[in-house]
Amino acid sequence: MTLFERVGANSSPEPGALADVLSLFGAVADAAAGSPPEATPSIASLAVWMARLAELSQEEADALYFAALLRNLGALGNPAFGKGEPLPARLAEMHRWDIPVSGARLCESIRPLPRPTADLVRWSAERWDGTGYPDQLRWHGIPRAAQALHLACTYVRFADREEALATIAGESGQAFAPEQTRTFVMWYHACGGEIEPVGIPLHALDAKLATTGEIVDTLADRIDAHNGTPGRWRRVLQRAEHAAAALQLSPSDRTQLACAVRFFAAGEIDDAILEAERFGPMARLGVKNRAKHAVAAAALLERSTTLGAAAPLLRARAEWYDGTGKPDGLRHEAIPPAAMVLSACIAYDALEQSAREKTREDHRRPLDRIETASGTQFDPRVVSALAQTVQERT
Amino acid sequence: MIELHARTRRISGSRLEELLGRYDARSVVDPLMGLPTHLNYLKRHGIAVHGGDVLEWFVRAGEGLVVNDFTILRDIEVAEIVEMLPGRIYPLDRFKAWEGVFFTEEQCAYLGVWHDNVRNLRSDGQTGLAILGLWFVLSYWLQKAHYPDDMQDLPPSELAWNYLRKTERWVGSNMLRNTVRQSDVLATVSSQRADALFLAPPARNAFRSSDARIWMWEAWWQGNPYYNIEHSYRDSLFGARSADEHGYARAFATVLSAAREYPVIIVQATKERLHEFEPHLRNARRNVDIVTPYGNEVYLVGTK
Repeated sequence: MTLFERVGANSSPEPGALADVLSLFGAVADAAAGSPPEATPSIASLAVWMARLAELSQEEADALYFAALLRNLGALGNPAFGKGEPLPARLAEMHRWDIPVSGARLCESIRPLPRPTADLVRWSAERWDGTGYPDQLRWHGIPRAAQALHLACTYVRFADREEALATIAGESGQAFAPEQTRTFVMWYHACGGEIEPVGIPLHALDAKLATTGEIVDTLADRIDAHNGTPGRWRRVLQRAEHAAAALQLSPSDRTQLACAVRFFAAGEIDDAILEAERFGPMARLGVKNRAKHAVAAAALLERSTTLGAAAPLLRARAEWYDGTGKPDGLRHEAIPPAAMVLSACIAYDALEQSAREKTREDHRRPLDRIETASGTQFDPRVVSALAQTVQERT
Repeated sequence: MIELHARTRRISGSRLEELLGRYDARSVVDPLMGLPTHLNYLKRHGIAVHGGDVLEWFVRAGEGLVVNDFTILRDIEVAEIVEMLPGRIYPLDRFKAWEGVFFTEEQCAYLGVWHDNVRNLRSDGQTGLAILGLWFVLSYWLQKAHYPDDMQDLPPSELAWNYLRKTERWVGSNMLRNTVRQSDVLATVSSQRADALFLAPPARNAFRSSDARIWMWEAWWQGNPYYNIEHSYRDSLFGARSADEHGYARAFATVLSAAREYPVIIVQATKERLHEFEPHLRNARRNVDIVTPYGNEVYLVGTK
């Protein structure tokens, strides 16, 4: 049983908590796809309005909200957004076509979602004339709810409403069904293009079918897959749990730590190169870079009411014990102890993986290298706890 | 104004890929392929595909989307298709019969020009892509006739240029042999071997009420505005011979019988039409799974 589960995330959640975690999942996927997460509630609301005006069923309208929330899920782990050298444009485009399908498959694995959600994600990039992707569906073969989602995504992408209106009207019969464009234009003129927010349809979630813990773990796995570091959070968690126990951290700190371990890598998601590859986990030159990732991950988690309490921990994980770290230059006791545990465990994992791959010149034992930074980068108590954990396990 | 169908059958390549994956099938035959965009999807995802249809333009489009691994229409070739070429004599009245009925004089003239230009292309792959690209134009025009105020009035050459350039994106290789053939169902089923057979049987008498965007394009490709696609279906298995209920059931059972060597048979149906296919498939196969992923979509999967 993991630390995260011990603190109660394995019981049936409230639909509100579940929706919150799903929103976080969507926000991380938006970051992976380079889409601003702030746009998502507007896209979801407009899509639902379009569904209502088209007199679609309540089930479809509910599913549409979640499909809007999770429409970029397939970007997590998609090679077009992967690390390293960018792919040739044509190859990257072909990989991008797979985003809706991968997203749909991921949605299917999230059992509390309304059933049509996955297929609305699958067909959210289809075009009326049959030139969309992934399936090149055409005309009435595209579910009307999926068309509504496509239209909402297009509208919200534009900062200027008039320009959005002109684009959508110009795409009538090509990207969008003429009937739907007409409905949209009527909506636009009726409310001046202002999207009235729609609440999350919590009643549509079947919270009994999964725990928030399962969903959070799936998300953490996807983040690692996206970053090309499969299994990283699980390895870091194992060390962090033991170190936290050795340090006798409070249950609350350990809960936040368990949560932070799952999300620290979310900050690296839209960066082309992982921080460990750029400077190494111990390099002072990497402080700024690590801080950037820490801040990005914290900003994503802050949005969540259920898990947001762990955001300060994420933000502080690039701080140095001696106060020369970033982003806030905290030192000694001002740094949350759980953040110091997280920081040391991430560094240890990077060194261990590097030593395993033997790609680095320095083949010293990872623990020796961590110990050299005791009192500067890392809290000496944390280093001792980590050393104890590592020695016990070897 | 010509009627356009208010319903379109959804044949999803990605769904089919999931079903094929579930039964470890790495190759598939679709003897009723229609416009083979689903086969193009499967090809792009590493599955060997073989298709067949009785309509020639579907098969030609398949040569561009399914068989063709690398030929695209470059700007220079697109330019040679969309406008009249100097020095070439065009029979501009070839599609005059459609003038004032379905299309304007200008549109009919362009249809004639495009017909000749596409017929003069040098490769099957390019011809297939051109047929597909220009079909999007025809569909746009027919749709615009229904929504004259809702859709933009784009110059024919601009519309054709945009759609022809888009065809490039679907060309790719899966390093496998993929084929299409113009033949009836039984000929395709018995001439190919694959891990799975995919069938999306047409509705009974469907050929008599084919969508204008389909039959009209066959007529365009044949260069004959009076062409009647009932001729193509006259001797086909799901054509006139299976117009009545028993004939249709017999035709479907015949296909299943011809497909006895295929390890997996996937039949796409709807909830309303499930009873037409399920008993036959259960007779032909020991195990039959029914998959209902979305809305009215139903897949019957028969394995040995």
